[in-house]
Amino acid sequence: MILTEPVPPPDPGPPASPAASPAPGVAEAAVDLHAVSLAFGPKQVFRDLDLRLEAGRVHALIGPPAVGKSTTLKLIAGLMRPDAGEVHVLGQRIDDLSERALGAVRERMGMLFQNNALFDVSVGENVAFPLRRIDAGLTEATIRARVSERLAKVALAGFEERQPAELSGGQKKRVGLARATVADAALVLYDEPTAGLDPVTSQKIYDLVRGEQRATESTAVVVSSDVAGVLTIADHVAMFYEGRVVFTGSPDEARASRVPVVHQFVHGTLEGPL
Amino acid sequence: MATAFPSPGSLAALRFQLRELVKLTRRTLEMAVAPRRGGRAARRAFAEQMHLVGNRSMPFMIVTMAFIGAIISFQTALQSQEILPDLSQVGATFTKLLVRDLAASVGALPLATRVGAGIAAELGSMVVTEQVDALRMNNADPVETLVLPRFVACVVMGTVVLVVGGFVAFGAGVLVGQVAFGIEARTFASTALLNGGDVALGLAKCATYGGAIALVSSERGLSAFGGSEGVGRATTEAVVGSCFTIIVLNVLLSTGGHFLLPAL
Repeated sequence: MILTEPVPPPDPGPPASPAASPAPGVAEAAVDLHAVSLAFGPKQVFRDLDLRLEAGRVHALIGPPAVGKSTTLKLIAGLMRPDAGEVHVLGQRIDDLSERALGAVRERMGMLFQNNALFDVSVGENVAFPLRRIDAGLTEATIRARVSERLAKVALAGFEERQPAELSGGQKKRVGLARATVADAALVLYDEPTAGLDPVTSQKIYDLVRGEQRATESTAVVVSSDVAGVLTIADHVAMFYEGRVVFTGSPDEARASRVPVVHQFVHGTLEGPL
Repeated sequence: MATAFPSPGSLAALRFQLRELVKLTRRTLEMAVAPRRGGRAARRAFAEQMHLVGNRSMPFMIVTMAFIGAIISFQTALQSQEILPDLSQVGATFTKLLVRDLAASVGALPLATRVGAGIAAELGSMVVTEQVDALRMNNADPVETLVLPRFVACVVMGTVVLVVGGFVAFGAGVLVGQVAFGIEARTFASTALLNGGDVALGLAKCATYGGAIALVSSERGLSAFGGSEGVGRATTEAVVGSCFTIIVLNVLLSTGGHFLLPAL
């Protein structure tokens, strides 16, 4: 879709800069994308994208479909590499790391995938998977205890032996969430955590995301098309449009924004450039 | 620089696929020699794949190879009868052909359709449902976790299945020779035309074809994109690619075998 008027510059937000030691008074960045460009064949997804996400907060990435929100998560996770620019995650530049070196960074990250991405093993084994892969020397008893505790937290106590195929959509999301957070990750990425869920289940998922972030003081980055829902838990919002970030600020600032594309998207009105 | 993927079917796409296949083969062979992680889950993955490739393929391969053995025996005897009215060499020739080439080369084609399609469909589904990304996020190398068990299972159990299939084809050939042409069974069991090189070449072909099926199919599965349509495309390409690779490898191995392990 083409804008009927030029997209104005982003609302005032933190200045984008390469990740380095933050200046006094500036919060440390969990994620810093600097001048990132990415194209899939002829389709330019990002051109000189800058995005800084502070540590210890819940960040909502919003925007119309196919503007690169999920792609941003994959760049942060190191599952994709930019054509140009720098990606800094948890204080380390990752866009030039080998897959093996990325492992050390990923041990401090968790991710809930849009399709849940549960393996064809029991729920317990799915949740235990990250614990078995990190070199923490955990005993089997410890792993089982951690899995049970995490499943109880997402209201799935006793589901260890169930198979993913036996679960409802909301239960699968909660298993995915338990797996993403079981290793107490410093940065958790959520790709459309409420896609296809009813409003009540969606709000329960959002509450779990918020509760987990508060309990561990981690950083959560949530991509969601459910703007109203995700704004209830976000500390910070970034809106993507036409390959760049057109807004950053608080949820209240997003709701009050006069930028036409932001106003229309956040309020879901029919009139506007979208 | 844009992340460009060549359009399917183009020469650039073929070059890209070949490059990816070579990379995957190198990495898998490196890991086969020195696997980095073991444990219960890895052992279970190997056992599961052995079961899938071996036990689950066996009934299909037994029936298929019985028909193939019967057809080869019948046609060999028929042609011999028409050219030289002498069937005394049919048994030994049939056995030699089977051991040196046909049990492996012909048997590998139905094996590729069954096992190759299964591998590509399973891995392709894992890619489009983001399970492969989930593995990577959890420091599990997809090559080590997914490809290596399938490769080892195809090399080991593929060989077993093809050898068993060869025996079944032999039995069917003997039966057809006896019933249709009155050829004595003991002439098939004659080892006069066989040597150790024939057996070695036959076994080498079995193992090589098994490995090729796993690698070609895994590469296609891991390259799947675009949902169920992409999985379907990857599955088709895996079967076609595996069969084509088997035929090309047969030319290479037969040529090499002709010089290194000459027939009597």
